[in-house]
Amino acid sequence: MPYLLTTIVFLPLAAVVICAMLPKDLAGAAKWVAATFMAIDVVLVGWLVAAFDIKGGIQAVVDVPWVPQIAVRYHLGVDGISLSMLALSALLGLIAVVASWKVEKSAGTYFAMLMLLQVGMNGVFVALDLVLFYVFWELVLVPMYFLIAMWGGERRQYASLKFFLYTLAGSVFMLVGIIALYLTTGTFDVLQLAGPEASRAIAAVPGLAGWVFLAFFLGFAVKVPIWPLHTWLPDAHVEAPTAASVLLAGIMLKMGAYGFIRIALPVLPGAARASAPWIAALAVISIVYGAAVAFAQKDVKKLIAYSSVSHMGFVMLGIASGTAAGLDGAVAVMFSHGLVTGLLFLMVGMVYDRTHTRQIADLSGLSSKVPAIGGIFAFAAFASLGLPGLSGFVGEFLSLLGSWQSTLVPHWMTVVAAVGVLLAAAYMLWMVQRVILGEPSEAVSRIRDITPREVVYVLPLIVLIVVVGVYWGSLLRFVDPAVQGIVTILARVA
Amino acid sequence: MRSYMLMTPELVMLATALLAMFADVLPVRGRRVAAWIGAAGAAAAAIIALIVGPGAVTLFGGMLRFDSIAVLARVATAGLTAAYLLWLAGNGASIGRAREATALALLAAMGGMLMSGARDLVVLFLTMEAATMPAYVLIGFDRGDERGMEGALKYFLLSMVSSLVMLYGMAFLYGMSGTTVFDGLRVTTFGALGLIAAVLTIVGLFTKLSAAPFHYWSPDAYAGAPAFSVAFVSSVPKIAGVVALVRIVGVLGPQVRGLAGILLAVAVISMVIGNLAAFPQKDVRRLMAYSGVAHVGYILLALAAGTPAGSLAAVLYAVAYAVPSMAVMLIVAEEGPALDDLDGLLSRRPFAAWAMLVFLISLVGVPPLAGFFGKLYMFSAALAADLVWPVVLALVFSAVSAGFYFGIVRAVFFGQRPRAVRVHGSRNRAADVAIAICLLATVLIGLLAGPLLSAMGFALP
Repeated sequence: MPYLLTTIVFLPLAAVVICAMLPKDLAGAAKWVAATFMAIDVVLVGWLVAAFDIKGGIQAVVDVPWVPQIAVRYHLGVDGISLSMLALSALLGLIAVVASWKVEKSAGTYFAMLMLLQVGMNGVFVALDLVLFYVFWELVLVPMYFLIAMWGGERRQYASLKFFLYTLAGSVFMLVGIIALYLTTGTFDVLQLAGPEASRAIAAVPGLAGWVFLAFFLGFAVKVPIWPLHTWLPDAHVEAPTAASVLLAGIMLKMGAYGFIRIALPVLPGAARASAPWIAALAVISIVYGAAVAFAQKDVKKLIAYSSVSHMGFVMLGIASGTAAGLDGAVAVMFSHGLVTGLLFLMVGMVYDRTHTRQIADLSGLSSKVPAIGGIFAFAAFASLGLPGLSGFVGEFLSLLGSWQSTLVPHWMTVVAAVGVLLAAAYMLWMVQRVILGEPSEAVSRIRDITPREVVYVLPLIVLIVVVGVYWGSLLRFVDPAVQGIVTILARVA
Repeated sequence: MRSYMLMTPELVMLATALLAMFADVLPVRGRRVAAWIGAAGAAAAAIIALIVGPGAVTLFGGMLRFDSIAVLARVATAGLTAAYLLWLAGNGASIGRAREATALALLAAMGGMLMSGARDLVVLFLTMEAATMPAYVLIGFDRGDERGMEGALKYFLLSMVSSLVMLYGMAFLYGMSGTTVFDGLRVTTFGALGLIAAVLTIVGLFTKLSAAPFHYWSPDAYAGAPAFSVAFVSSVPKIAGVVALVRIVGVLGPQVRGLAGILLAVAVISMVIGNLAAFPQKDVRRLMAYSGVAHVGYILLALAAGTPAGSLAAVLYAVAYAVPSMAVMLIVAEEGPALDDLDGLLSRRPFAAWAMLVFLISLVGVPPLAGFFGKLYMFSAALAADLVWPVVLALVFSAVSAGFYFGIVRAVFFGQRPRAVRVHGSRNRAADVAIAICLLATVLIGLLAGPLLSAMGFALP
C-alpha cells in the first residue's frame, strides 16, 4: 500500500481545490464535498488501522527524494503513536465538517480552509523528514488564521494574529534546530537522526544537543502550549468558530506534544533527559496554573481553554518522565483530550448557537430544559475531570504513575500534579453545577434540544470516550510498542 | 561566431526591445502590441537561455561566461520580464506609453542578463549601468508628477554617485593587480588597501541593491514612482545585482581580510532597519521598499558565509524574492498605492486577494512556498559557516516581518470601508494571467526545487 498514506494526507487537498473553485451560487455544495472527502479519509485511516501490524514498527512507508541537492526526502510512515494521532485527526476533521453544516458566510472558502488545515494536521503526524514535517507544521497556520479571522468572534482580528505570530515565532527556532541537525549529520531523516550514527555525530559537537533541544522546545512548547507560552491559546479558542476550536484543541495542541515524542526525545535523548526536571516543573506549573485560572473564568469556552492548558501539562509531565508508563500516559491523554475537549467545545457551540451567550452567569439549568444537551455536556465534563471508566482517567493515571517511577522527576512534582487532578474535578463540577444544574435561566428557557445532525457528530466521540475508558488496552496496544522503542533510546544514554 | 550564439538570449531581448520601441510603424496597431511583442520575446529569451544552458567557455577573451548561476539569473530575469510585460499588455491602456515602458524593461533586463555573466570589472560596470539607466526613466515615468520627478532625480543622483564610488574602487583594484579580469584578480595578493578598494566597489552594489545603511533613496524614489515601475525596478534587476555581488565577493573575499565582516554587518543592519521601518508605512510602495531592504539583508547573510552553497542560495533567494515582490506591486499598481486602497480587495477581486496572500506568506518564508526554500538554503549555508546568532536574528525577523505583511492581508481581507470602486475598464485577462504565472512560480519554485536546480546544471552533492 505505497500510496495509502499519501492519499490519506492529500485527499483533503482535492476537497480544497474543489471547494475553492465552486461558483458562488453552488457554495452550498462545499460542505458535501468536504464531508465526502473526509468520510473517505476516515475509511482509509480505518483501513490503515485494520491492516496495521502492532509489532511491525514503522509501516506504510513512502520514501523518495524530494530535493536531492540537500537530502530532503518525501518520507512518510506510521507507528502506533502516529497512527493514533492520525486517526484522531481524521475523525475530528470529519466531525468538524459536520459540525459546520450551518456555516453560510463564504461557505466555499470556509470548507476549503478547513480541508487545507486537515492536510497539515494529517501530514504532521506521518512525516518522517524534518523539512517535510516543518512544511506540514507551518501549513496549518494560514488556514487556522483565516478560520479565526473570518469566522470568529468579536476580537477575532487580534486573536488570529496573535495565534499566527506566536506559533510562527516559536517555529522559526525549530527551523534553526532542524538546519543545525542537518549540518551536523547530513540528513533530515527522523529515523536516521535517532540512529546511533547520527547520535555520535551530534554528541561529537559539544553543547550542540542542548541548543538544538532548546530550539525544538521553543517550537513545540508554544504549540502545546506550556506555561508561560500559553497566552495565545485562550484568545484563539474563545474567538474561533466551534469547528476551529475543536481542531485547535483536539489536534493542533497535540502537534506540539507529538513533536517532543517523535523528534525531540529520540533524536536528542541526552538533552531530553538533562532537561526533564525543568520540563516537568513547567508541566506542573501548567497543570496547577491552568486549573487555577479555569476557576476564575466567566466564559465557558475560556474555562475549557484553560482546562486544556492544565491537561496538556499532564502530557508534558508524562513526556518528561521518560518512562514507558509516562509516555503511554502522555499519548493516552493526547488521544483522550482530543475526544473530550472536542466534545466539550461542540457542546458549548451548541449552547451558544441557541442562546447566543457563553457567559456562565447567563446559563443555568440546561439539564432540566434540554436534557440531552445537558446530559452530554455533563458527560463530557466528567470525562474531562478524569472519572474512572471514561477515557480521561487512563492517561492522567499513567502519566502520574510514570512520573512517580521516573528518576528524572522529583517526587514532590508528581504530588503537586496529583493535586491538579483534584482541582480539575473541582472546577469542572462547579461549572456543571452552575451551567447544567439548577433552574433554567432566561437565556436557556426557550431553546430546543439536540437535533439528529448534532447527535450524529457527538455520538462517535461519546462511544470512543467510553470504549477507551473501559478498555484501555484497545489504545495502548498500538501505542506501547512504539513507546518502548523511545524508552530504549532514552535508556541508552542513561 | 560561437560567442554570439551563446549570447542569443540577450540578442533576442535587444531585438525585441527595438521592435517594441518602434511598434508604431508595425502593420498591427494598438497600444498593447508592443507589450505583447515584448512578452513573447522575453519568454523566448528565457527558454533559449535554458536550452543553451551553462557553458565552460569564456566569451570575448574572458569577459563573459555563463555558468550555472548565470543561467539561473538569465532564465529568471527574462522569465520575470516576460510575466511583467504580459501584465503590461493587460494594463497597457491605463498606463499610457506602454511602448516605452516595454522597451525600457527589456533593455534593463538585457543589461541584467549580461551582468550575470560578467567576468571582468569593466564589463560588470558597463552592464550594470545598462541595467540601471532604463530604471531611472521608469521611476520618472510619470512626467506630470512632481513627486515622481523628485524621486527619479534622487534615484538618478544617488545611483550615479554610487557608480562613481564603485568605479573609484575598481580603479584601485586595477591599480593593484594590473588587470580587470576576475581570474586575474583572484590570484592577486592585496594589502591593507585591498579592503578599502573592495569596500568602495561593493558599496556601489549595496546602494543599487538598497542594503542598509545605503538604502535611503529607495523608499522616497519608490513612493514617488508609479507602482507599475516600482514592480519592475524593485525586483527584477535585483537578481543580476545579487549575482554581481556574488562574483565580486567570490573574487575578493578570499584575498581581502575583513570583507566577510562587512557583509555580515550590513546584513544585520539591513534586516533590523528594513523590518522595523516597514511597520509604520501606510504606502505599500514604501512598505515594500523597506521589505526589500530586509530581504537584501538575508541575502547578504548567505553571502557572508563565503561558500559556494551560500552564493548559490543567495541567487536562488533573489529569485524567490523577486517573483512575489513583483507580483505584489503589480496588484498594487492595479488597485492603488495606499494601504487603504487595498481595503476589501477580497470582495472585488477574490483571485487577486488570495494570490496576494500567497505572495506575502512566501515573503514571510512560510513553507512550502518559494521564500521558505530560499531561506532554508541561505540559512543552512550561513549556519554551516557558524553564523549562528545572525541566523537566529534573521529567523526572528522573518517572524516579525509577518506583522507588517499582515497589515496588507488585513486590508485585503478584512478592510471594511465601502468605497467608490475604481473602474478598471482597461484591465484585461492578460494581467490576471501574469499574476497567475507569478503565483504558480511562487508555489512551484519551492516544490520543484530539486528538478529545477538539476535543469540549470547544478550538480548533486
